[in-house]
Formats: sequence, structure tokens, C-alpha cells
Amino acid sequence: MSDSTNDPLLADVDGLEALLLGNEAIVRGALEAGVAFAAGYPGTPSSEVTDSFARVAGRLGLVFEYSVNEKIALEMAFAASLAGARSICAMKHLGLMYAGDPISTIPYVGVKAGMVIVSAGDPSCATSPNEQDQRHLGAMLHVPILDPSTPREAHSMARLAFDLSEKSRLPVILRATTRVCHSRAAIRCGRLGERTVAGFVRDPKRYTPIPVNARAMRLEIPGRLEAARAFMSEAGLFQRTGAGRRAVLATGAPAAVCRDILREEGLQDSVVLAVMGGVHPLPAPELCALLAEVETLLVVEELSPFVEDALCALCHEHGLRTRILGKRSGHLPVEFEYSPAIIRRGLCAALGLEVRAPVAAKALDPVVPRPPNLCAGCPHRSTYFAARAAFGKEHLYFNDIGCYTLGYGAPLDTVDGLLCMGAGFTLAAGVARVTGTRTVGFVGDSTFFHSGMAPLLNAIKEDVNMVAVILDNQVTGMTGFQESPTVSIAQGAPARKVSIEGVARALGARHVETVRPSDLAATILAFERARAASGVSVIIAEEPCPMFLGRLKGGERSRPAVYTVDHERCQTCGREGSGQRCQQPRTLGQERSMARSRALCASPEGASCDGGARPARVAPCALACPLGLCVQGYAAHIFAGQYCSAFELIASRCPLPHSVCRVCHRPCETTCVHAASGEPVAINDLKRFVADWAAREGVEERAPPRPKPNGKSAAVVGAGPAGLAAAHDLALRGYEVTLYDAADAPGGLLRSGIPLFRLPVEALERDVARILALGVRFEGGRRLGLDLNLDDLLARHDAVLVALGAHHALGLGVAGGEAEAGGAPRVVDALAYLEEARAGLVPRTGERVAVVGGGNAAIDAARTALRLGARQVTIVYRRRREEMPALKDEIAEALLEGVELCTQLDPVRLVQAAAGAPCGLECARTEPGEPDASGRRRPLRVVGSEILVEVDQVITAVGQAPETETLRVAGELLARKKDGSVEVDPETGQTSHARVFAAGDVTPGERTVTSAIAAGQRAAWGLDVGLRGRAAADLRPPPQLAAAARGAEQPHLARVDRAARRRPPELSVERRGGFDENVGALSESQARAEAGRCAVCGMCGNCRSCLDLFGCPAFYLEEGRIEIDPLLCSGCGVCAEFCPNNAIVPRSEP
Amino acid sequence: MTRPEAGRAAAAARLRILIVGVGGQGVLTAARHLGEACLRTGHEAVLGQLHGMSQRGGSVESTVVVGGAESSFIEEGEADVVLGLEPLETLRARPRMHAQTRVVTSTTPVVPHLLSQMGKPYPPLPEILSAIRAAAPDLTTLDSAAIVRQAGARRALNVAMLGALAALEVLPFPAAALWSAVAARTPERFVAGNRRAFELGGAAAKARTSPAPGRPAC
Repeated sequence: MSDSTNDPLLADVDGLEALLLGNEAIVRGALEAGVAFAAGYPGTPSSEVTDSFARVAGRLGLVFEYSVNEKIALEMAFAASLAGARSICAMKHLGLMYAGDPISTIPYVGVKAGMVIVSAGDPSCATSPNEQDQRHLGAMLHVPILDPSTPREAHSMARLAFDLSEKSRLPVILRATTRVCHSRAAIRCGRLGERTVAGFVRDPKRYTPIPVNARAMRLEIPGRLEAARAFMSEAGLFQRTGAGRRAVLATGAPAAVCRDILREEGLQDSVVLAVMGGVHPLPAPELCALLAEVETLLVVEELSPFVEDALCALCHEHGLRTRILGKRSGHLPVEFEYSPAIIRRGLCAALGLEVRAPVAAKALDPVVPRPPNLCAGCPHRSTYFAARAAFGKEHLYFNDIGCYTLGYGAPLDTVDGLLCMGAGFTLAAGVARVTGTRTVGFVGDSTFFHSGMAPLLNAIKEDVNMVAVILDNQVTGMTGFQESPTVSIAQGAPARKVSIEGVARALGARHVETVRPSDLAATILAFERARAASGVSVIIAEEPCPMFLGRLKGGERSRPAVYTVDHERCQTCGREGSGQRCQQPRTLGQERSMARSRALCASPEGASCDGGARPARVAPCALACPLGLCVQGYAAHIFAGQYCSAFELIASRCPLPHSVCRVCHRPCETTCVHAASGEPVAINDLKRFVADWAAREGVEERAPPRPKPNGKSAAVVGAGPAGLAAAHDLALRGYEVTLYDAADAPGGLLRSGIPLFRLPVEALERDVARILALGVRFEGGRRLGLDLNLDDLLARHDAVLVALGAHHALGLGVAGGEAEAGGAPRVVDALAYLEEARAGLVPRTGERVAVVGGGNAAIDAARTALRLGARQVTIVYRRRREEMPALKDEIAEALLEGVELCTQLDPVRLVQAAAGAPCGLECARTEPGEPDASGRRRPLRVVGSEILVEVDQVITAVGQAPETETLRVAGELLARKKDGSVEVDPETGQTSHARVFAAGDVTPGERTVTSAIAAGQRAAWGLDVGLRGRAAADLRPPPQLAAAARGAEQPHLARVDRAARRRPPELSVERRGGFDENVGALSESQARAEAGRCAVCGMCGNCRSCLDLFGCPAFYLEEGRIEIDPLLCSGCGVCAEFCPNNAIVPRSEP
Repeated sequence: MTRPEAGRAAAAARLRILIVGVGGQGVLTAARHLGEACLRTGHEAVLGQLHGMSQRGGSVESTVVVGGAESSFIEEGEADVVLGLEPLETLRARPRMHAQTRVVTSTTPVVPHLLSQMGKPYPPLPEILSAIRAAAPDLTTLDSAAIVRQAGARRALNVAMLGALAALEVLPFPAAALWSAVAARTPERFVAGNRRAFELGGAAAKARTSPAPGRPAC
């Protein structure tokens, strides 16, 4: 671009013609006037004034500064004037208001060398929050105001203003509006003026407006204003062309339009056009002469009727009867910039001309707007993103003037209010003070020094509950990269000068953190600490503006990498092929939670993402879950506070959420990436929280719509977990379902075998009600083999699904059991014992009880026995503790309650009481031997190691077998395995009979509530495949077999949240005498915090975080796919840090 | 009320050029180049630019009014030439066109981020072009992405478009005058690439516009 050698502002040539911007023309005019000091604070549309001075000051040797704010700029210029140097300061209209204090006294004191204040106005609020009419300041402050209509006039008025200032000893406001500042025209330049600095002449009385002096000074002002008026008149600032009885009087930018219109209409000679270059003091003699000559006068001035009202006053004063038209007559509006069309309409109407019909604008389809956006790679975007990830929807954000404003609206949404420079802090503080809630205030680095330090000090002084964020990109960005006090541009390479952190601490802030926004994890964590703190927390987000860095390097950006989208992973659910993808619409909250978790886990704090961290296709927890629940999906909902969505996501795959969240064996938690540290995410407690929330809120009453009947009917025999799940799924598939059970109420094992302190009856009833609400008919008291048989069922229904439980308890297989009457310990089966207890019948319980077995039934029986009065309960198990199939937590609870655990003991025989010797159970010690079929080491009795466990009751919980003798069709048994279980196709649950399907404990496989539910769902699908075919059945894919999950890829995380998992409240041991539920639900804050620990280890098909939350302009959609524009990508890599799918990768060649 | 024809003629002698595009494409620079060329060839010109917030990836426009006007406004139905650096932005300028407006537009889209956020596709290019043609039939299209790629000057889109505009013989000065104005304001190391873009743009425009005899010279 133009280097300094041919910079038209520097050329000392008379008559040089240069194409100058209005703002540059002002600078050129000032240079020609010999200005020796310039200062300013950037603000559109004034910024090019200061920028041009910055560009030439060094070469010309004039003193220039980007002042910290406008008040300082104006005071500096005044001081320079007193020291005998012609001075200028530039600012936008709002800036002059900020400098209101000094400017209101300067006219009293008076200037010495010429002083000019450039104050750029902005009609139509093109880049400002208001469009104030600064001309009123003239009368209020006693200051001359010049109002150029073109760049050419701006140039000549700037040159003239210094003389005017010196003649009147008043500062002069050169008011130019956007249209003049930002128009470019050929300017004929003069020679550069000579700069002189006369020096400060001591005269305390002159320069000290203490009241006694100020009163004297006040009396001098009218004389100064009259001097100004005379000078302006002599300088020809009031121009008249044309002739006739009609006149147009225009000021400012509209004057140029009026000249064009009158010429175009051929009226330049027959209508008087008067242009007022100076609006204060009023050119009264010229105006009176004009008013006396014409009959009609139209005043064309933007904004308020400033001149129009003055003319009316003149007419009144001088007894003139001229018709004054303009705003008050309705010919012209009082707001916004005047376009030629507006002026033409008013002018034609006022002058009695035919109004040309406007071109009838055809109704056109609107073109999608293209609002401004933060640039690609902007550190503010990362800061906002991190703030939104860390704070909740309940937090309010107050923001500031500058690029930060672009946080307004979607996707960043970090502007709840905005007023003026520095008010980001003050608004946040004020709202926090009266509401008592923690708020967030943002200001930029330049704003912080401009007017943010005092609000921060004020907030610290009052100990306001707020987070004060300073977005330090080390440059004043929005106005075109001017220096801020943290960095000096003038000296070349940026060097840090003032430390914001140092200032904040010096102001008394105790919690101050400086972060680098491109380190997303560290920034989120800093915000989370600030959120949890109280009082004023200061966060300084420090990272240079990449656009500015590029400009420093001559327009070339240095990019560490250019990123691209890996479509194999983007918007891909890891279970895409299996039909397991959720059907939920995406929500911003869920995306935000996932992106946050991903960012926190993808990179260690204090380091950027190295690309080494990678989620698996499917999270290990989801793979381990028999139901295939998307844990990360509902955890993300919970973190976002979207409990209803969380419940819907759970319930869409889990037909018995209230039961499962209490009794699940939780394979998910053992595979959680946090399990290695011993603190896996409390997945089931999250589910419990959501289920309880749903129950409280009555979510389930808003039941899903009844499915459309498919015309077929199915019988489900057995209403345990498998049967209920099958009935649920069949009903959703449109079957007319009848659910038979031997018991009077549905539930099976859930109703009879699990003690109330683990599964309260209300929880089960809620699940049952959900299923029956789908139209499932329940027939209780119908036992297969007695009241029902398969032949009848097959005749009445299109298919039968057998979901019988395993009720046949296996015996202890020890000697002596038959001799109970003879004083040996009583032997009872755990299931029978539990069922009696559950029914509230208080089964007979001994003083000293041994429970044989290592499963959940054993633990439940032991804990029940304690509650029913046993003084001592011992669990006897033949293998080692770590081999016990029971849930680890349940074992721990049992021990806590006082159950004794004796492992590696194998019962040998029951011993009768005899001759003072107690009765009991004789057991042998065991040692692990060779591995058996299950892979566990077979326990081997150690010869001679027998001991007597003194008990009077033995509860056996060594396993149950299904009763399958009744499963006959036409007299023939269904095919069975050796162990008596029904042989089924593991995928479809189909038995040897084409229309009979089976699931649950009656079939081989794992015997847990959750796997039974999954099996029931699979069999329902299998039944559907059999009856309606694969296509129809696959509309509701069943959970996958666990086998399919083996060998899946593992997630790699760079950082794991080491916080301890949240534990739900539990009854204290002393209060566990009864059957009240032991474990409560997590509190809301616990649940949200716990959900926030989820590392989002799997991919998500719903995610569009980059577009929905980040909004970097480099992203775009093409044919539904997310793409990155390689030209726009700045290579910051922040998107790659939070992409939950790790689908954003560096391109191979940058 | 009679309106002297002279006034009309003065207005008609003006050439109003509207340049539209997206922040960062060089809209303001293109206008500046045209203005400098006017200055060098003795044509009076006023330039207007609306920017500020809009430079951050938003819509940007600049006006060049040649022929003695004092204000730089170009209003509805007033643009004699529209130079569009982005198709949707050219479409947005439709109300400013009249039936004889000569439109030169790039066909390389810059997808508005609002569209992507809404999950909507960029409108099909043929639809955009035919909507522009409905307002102003004299439309020249330019595959600017291909041209800057060929020129090896990826930031010279605006100069390529200027080359095309100059080739249409709508400006009051020859293409060479515009090029020398561009060259004078371009850093040395970018001159060669910009020159290729300028010439390729011109060649492409000539190839795409069938000669239209009898069109009034501006």
C-alpha cells in the first residue's frame, strides 16, 4: 500500500490533488494549519483522524497520542494549547459527552493557541447506540461549531478552525457526520504549516477558574462569541447561491445533497440555496437578510430542528413573516440520516414542485441478512464459549462497546445488556447488588483503561457478587487496531507496558486469574472457579487479536495449521449402523454440556489440545449397558438442567427406569474412564435423580401417545423384568398384549425378591403403571401348567413370549439338611425368605443366621435377616470376596450394617445340637484351584480344615433354576439345554417353536434385572420379526447383545476429572432397622456436578456444536455437511478442542 | 413547472457505481482503486463507504459516483453499474438496479453464517442469477475463485472483478488507466499476482459478454 513516501498527508506540495477520506481531509487541514499536538480516542466514525495522525506524527515530528480516554485527550489538547501549541483532539460524539467536564469550563478559561475538537456524529446510529445532535452543545458550552457538508469543506474548515479558535480564544468543535467522515473526494491541498510551540506563560489568575475568577471569565464569553461570529462571517462560512423568493437553508451533509438535487432539477438559479458552514454562533445578520428577502424557506438539517427553531426566533425578534418550513411543518423527519429521497420529497413539497413518484419497488424476496460476526480465530469467541460452558442459563451477562458486542444473540449469547464504555462492569454490579445473584460483566482491554477501572474499584469496594471479565486482545480491534495501554504500536513490535492483572490487584481484587482463551479447558475451569467464588472475581482473557498480528506482519497470517472436518466422525453416532441412534432432537444445552466435557477432557489444563485425545465411537459405558443407554446423552442433559429430556432419553430405551435406577448391576460404572481412579461417574445415581425428578414433576402422566395397533396379538407369560419389558416393547410395536403372571400383581422378582429397602413398592408401581398405560392387559393369578398352557395361548394369540423366572431354588447339597426337626439349623431358601419378608409376613428368623451364597440374593437375605431380628448374620461363600457376583456396594452396605462375611468356606454338613454342643453349619476352608468353565478358579476344599459356624438358621442363596417342564406345545417340550433352560436363538429369543419366544431367567445367560429387560426387548423384536418381518421390526431396534461390544475401541483422554464422585444420602446404620429405602437421590446440584464429570467418551450423531455454539465464520454447511473454509480458518484449533466427536483435524498440508 | 433539460443532462452524465461484497473481500479497496483512476484521468468522483461493524464478515458496500456530484449516495433504482463480489450480496443490491444497470458479479459464494446456523443451504446459484437478471438483464458472471486460483493470488478477488469491469468498457477510462491506479497502490510483492488476476478477470468478462451494439456509452 501507499508507503510514507507518497502519503498525501505528508506531501508538502501546494496544489496537490489527493483522494482523501473526510477524516483524512481534516488531518490534512490541521497539518496545513501547523497543528503541533494531536490526541484522541478511537470511535467510529472518527477513528481515521487519530489513525492518520498516528501514521504521520513520527515523520512530521508533531506530538501525538492515543489517549486512554476522550476526557484525557481533550485535557491534553487544552494543555498543549495553553503551552502555545496548536492542538487537536478527535473522538466520536459519545466521547465528547465523556469529556463533558473539561469542555464545559475551557470556554471560561479560554485557549491560547488554536484548539480544535473533532467530534464525529452518527445519524441513523450506523455504529453507535444513539444519534445525538451535538450542535446543541454550542449554545450550552459557548463553543463555536463548524459543520462541513463534504470532505472538501472538512479540509478547509479544519484549517480555518485554528484561526477561529485563536481569534475567539474558544475551543472550536468541528462536527462531521458519518457521511462526511467516510466519503472520499479529491482535495486540493496547500503547503504544510509551520509548527510552533510558544511555551506556557505563567498567569494563575487567567488559568484558575476558582469561583471569583470564574465569574469574571463568564462575563468575557459574550465578547468571544461575537468575535467568533465576526470571524466566521468574514471567512465566508455562510454561502448563498441562486435567487428568487424561495430558499433552502441547509447544514452539514444534507447541504451536499441539496446542491445535487437543485442542479439535477435545474433549480440552481431560481431557488436560493444557503449553506451554513458554522452553526454556532448563529450567523444572525446573514440569516436576517435572507429571511427578509424570501417568502418561503425550507430548513434542511439532520436530527433536531436546531437551526429551524433559531430562525423562528429570529423572525419573531425582527418581526419577519417568512414561512419557515422543515421538521415542525412536517416536511422532514426529526430522526436518522437524510437520504436524497427524503430531501427530494421534502424539498419538492415545500417549493411547490411536482413530487416525482418514487420508483415503485417491487416486492422482492428478502435476502438472508449477513450481520457482522467475530472473525475466525477471535479469542473473544473462545472466552464467550468458555463462559457459557461454565455458567448456567440463570447467569446474566452485561457487555461493552467494541467487538464484544458481537456476543449479542445466537450462538454466543453473552449480551443481556449494554450501555456505554465501561458499563459492562457497572451494569453487572448494579444488577448483582439489588438482586443478590452473581452476574458476569465483560469489558475489553482498551475499555478497561478507558472507563473500566473505576467501576471495578467500585465493585471491589462494595464487595459486589460478580465476575468481572477483561477481554484483552491487546489492541482496540473494532475501530481498526489502535493501541491500548497494554501494548504500544508506535514503537513497532508490541511490547507489554501495563499489566491489567497488576492493576486489578492494585485496585484490591483478591481473586484474579489470567487465562489464554485458546486453552479452552483452562479458561472453562477458571470461569468455573469464578462462578463458585463470591465477591468480585476478575478473569483476564489474554490473547492477541490474530487479525492485528496478521496486519503487523504485512497482511500475512501465520497459521499453525488449517483444520478440516473428518466426515467419518462428524455428526455421527457411534451406533449409526446398529439402528441404536437416538431419535431425540438436539438441544443447545446438551451440545454445550458435551462440548464442555470434551474440552475439559481433551487437553490437560494449561496446554492446548494436542490431537492425541480421542473419543471412542461408542462410549464404554453405553457398550457395557445391556440396554444400550446413551449415558453421555442424558448426563449432558442433566448438566444443562434439562431433566425432562434426560428422562425421555432414558425411558426411550429403558422400560423400567424407576426400578433399574435402584437395582441395576451397573456394568457401565465399571467401564467408566474414571473407574481407574476409583471414582467412576455415578451413572445410576444420575438416572435415579432424573427418575425421581420425573416422578415428582408428573412427567409420566404426560404418557407417550398410544401406539397404532398392528392387528396382531401377543401373550407374554411372566411379569418379571423380562416380561414387563417385552410387553412394553410389543405394545409400542402395536401388538395387543396380554401379560399373564402367577402372582396377583406384575413385577415378578422385582415385587417378590428385592427387599423394600432397595426397591420401594412405589417405584415399581410407577414402572408398572407406565407399561400398563400403553394398553397392556394384565391377567394375574394365572400359572402356566395349572391355569394356562401354551397350546391355548397359541390358539388365542399370534405368538407367545415366555418370560418365566427361575424359581426353583437349588439345594445346599449338604448332609443333615433333612433332619431339621432333630435340632439342626432350619434351612430356608433365600427367595422364599425374601418373598415372605417383602410381603410383610415376617418370616421366621433365627438368632444366628448363616446365608450361603455370594450373589445379590444372599446379600439381600442377610440384610433382611438383620432387620428381622437376627443377632448375628454370617455370609458363607466358597470363593474369594472379589469373586462374589453381588454388587460391591451392596456387600459394603451389608458389612456396614453388621453382616459378617466368611469367604473361602464351603458348607459340608448341618450339625445338630447335641449335649451342650451348639447346632450349626460345618464348613471346609477352600483354596482356589484350576479355572472352571466360567473362567473363575474352582474352589477346592482343604482337607481337615473343617470348622463349625454356629447358627440356628441357614438361608440358601446358591442359585435358582427355571422350571421348564410346563413349556410344552402339543405335548412336546420346547428344546432345552442341559441345565434345563429353554434353548433360544440369542438374537431373537425364538424357541424351537416358531411362534414361541422366550427371555429372562428361563433362558441361558446372565441373570440380572437389567439384562433380563434387554432380553425381553430383544425377544419382543424377535417376535415382531417373526410375525411382521424384519423391516417393520427394525423400526424399533432392540438392544444389542453384549457380545457385539467386545473389542471396541477405547477412548483416549488427556485429562480425567479427579474429583470424587458425588454420593447420594443414605440412612445412617442406626436408622436402618426397618424397610425404608436406604439410599436417596442426589440433590440437583450434586447431580449436575456429577453429570459434568462425564468425559463424553463416545461420538454423537446429534452434535452441531461448532455451528450452534461457536459460530466461527469459517464453518459452513454444504449439502447438509459441516465444512471449514480453508481460507477463513485461522488455525486456532479451539473447535478441535471441544468437538465431541473429535471430527475436526488439521489438514495434511496447511 | 418546467424542468430545464440541462439539469437532467447533468444528472444523466453521472455514472453511479455500486460495489457490494462481504467484509474482507476488498470492497473498499476496489472503490479506492476506481477513485484513484478517476483522479488520474481527470474525472471528478466521490466515494462513499459504509463500514464499521460490517467489516466483521458482514455485508459491505461502497459507492463511486463519477461526474461532479457532491454526495456519494446511490439509492433505489440509481446504480448504473453494480460490481458484486459475492452472489447473494449482488442479489441484495437488486432494489438499487434499474433496467439498464450493468451488473458484474462473482459466482463464488461466501455462505452467510446465519444460513449455516439455521441449517439452511445456500440458495442455488442459477436461482440467484436469474433473480438478478429479472432486475437487470445485462449481467456478466465471473468464476472469481477459479481466476484467483489461476492467478495464484488468492486475495486478489477484488482486482479480478475490477479487471472484468474495465473490460466491459463501461468506465470513462481505459482498462490500462485502472490497472496503473491499482498497481500504484499495491505492494511490490503482490503486483504480479494482481496483474494476472486483473487480466484474467478482463479476459473472462470479454469472453462471457456478447457484444451489444447500440448500448448507450457512459
